[in-house]
Amino acid sequence: MAITKISNSGIYGTKYNDIAADNNYFETIAKIVVGSGGSSSVEFTSIPSTFTHLQVRYIAQTNRGTFGVESFKINVGVSSADTGANYTRHYLLGNGDSVAASADTSQTYWEGVNDFGTTTGGTFGAGVIDILDYANTNKYKTMRKFGGVDVNGTVGGVGGSAALVSSVWMSTSAIGYIKIAAMTNTLQQHSHFALYGVK
Amino acid sequence: MALTYTAIATVTVGSGGASSITFSSIPQSYTDLLVKLSTRSNQASGPDYVYLQFNSNTSTSNYQGIFLRGNGSTVASSSNTTEGKIRAAITTTSGETTSTFSNCEIYIPNYTSSNNKSTSSDWVPENNATATFMGITAGLWTQTSAITSMQLSLSSGSFVQHSTAYLFGIRKD
Repeated sequence: MAITKISNSGIYGTKYNDIAADNNYFETIAKIVVGSGGSSSVEFTSIPSTFTHLQVRYIAQTNRGTFGVESFKINVGVSSADTGANYTRHYLLGNGDSVAASADTSQTYWEGVNDFGTTTGGTFGAGVIDILDYANTNKYKTMRKFGGVDVNGTVGGVGGSAALVSSVWMSTSAIGYIKIAAMTNTLQQHSHFALYGVK
Repeated sequence: MALTYTAIATVTVGSGGASSITFSSIPQSYTDLLVKLSTRSNQASGPDYVYLQFNSNTSTSNYQGIFLRGNGSTVASSSNTTEGKIRAAITTTSGETTSTFSNCEIYIPNYTSSNNKSTSSDWVPENNATATFMGITAGLWTQTSAITSMQLSLSSGSFVQHSTAYLFGIRKD
C-alpha cells in the first residue's frame, strides 16, 4: 500500500513506512493479579524495547479508610524507579457535579487523581494508560491516562470521578521499568494490571 | 489469533519538519481506524491545534467539533463549525519543556460506512509548568463516503523533527 504524501516541499527526510499487515500488533507483555495478602505496589520489569508504544490497563482497589477513591503513584525508569524530580502532572476531572483542572511540576513521581477504588467504598477503579514512543531516545516520555471510579453515591462525603491525567517523565531514556502503587495505602486482592506492547 | 489490531502505516518527521502528515490509500478492510500521535510544533506558544481532514474535502460546512479542555487550572468547552476540518487535538509547542511531545489518540469508528463519520480523541501536550492544555474532542465529518485518506495539519505551525504518527486498523473479528 502506498502511504506517501508530504505537503511541505521543504522537509527533509520525513519517513513514511508501509507496514506488512500480517501480524497482530497488540501483544500482552505481562499481567499481575494482586493476591490475598495485598501488595504495596506492582512492578513491570525488563520491559523489552521491541514495541513502539506501551499500554497499561488496570482495575484496582486499595484499603484506604473513610473514602472510596485513592490516587495512583507511578514511577518509571530504565531498570529501576527514577525517583528524581522528573515528573509532572496535569489533570482534567469531572465528578458528576463539577469539573476541575490542576497541575504539578517537578514531582518525584506521577500522581494520578482518584484512580483506584477502595474496600471502604466497595468498588474498583478502572483505567487505561498509554505511553507513546516509550523507547524513543529523542523524546521525553509523555504518559496519558483515562479512567475513573464510581462509588455508587458518596463515601466519606466524596463521590467518584472520571479524569484525563497526564505526566511527562523528563528523560530521553527508554522505559524498561514501571512501578505502580497507591499514594498511601495497599493494593488489594483481585486488583489486576496488564501491560501491553503495541508495535 | 484474529488479526484485530494492525499497524497500517507510520510517519516519522525528519529534520526539516513537516507542515502536514497524510495517510493515503487507506485500505477498506478494517472496521475502525486509530491514530496515535506524538507531536511537537515549532510555534512559540499555544494553542496550536491539530486539524483532521478526510479525503481532501475542504468544505467549510462539512466538519464540526466539540472540545472539553483544561489548561492546568481552569476548564472550558468550545466548538468549531466553519473551519473545514476537525480540531482533533492541541499539540506541544516549542515554548514548552524541551524534548516534550504530545500524546494523542484519535478513534474513527465505522470509517467505511455510508453514514456520516464521527471521531473521538483525547490528548495531552504536557509541559513542566502549570499551564498546558489537555482535553477530549468529539468530531463529525458530514459525508457518507468511505474514508480513504486523512491529513493531519496544524493551525499555525509545523510538526518538528521526531514527531511521529501511527495509523492502525482495527477489526471486529
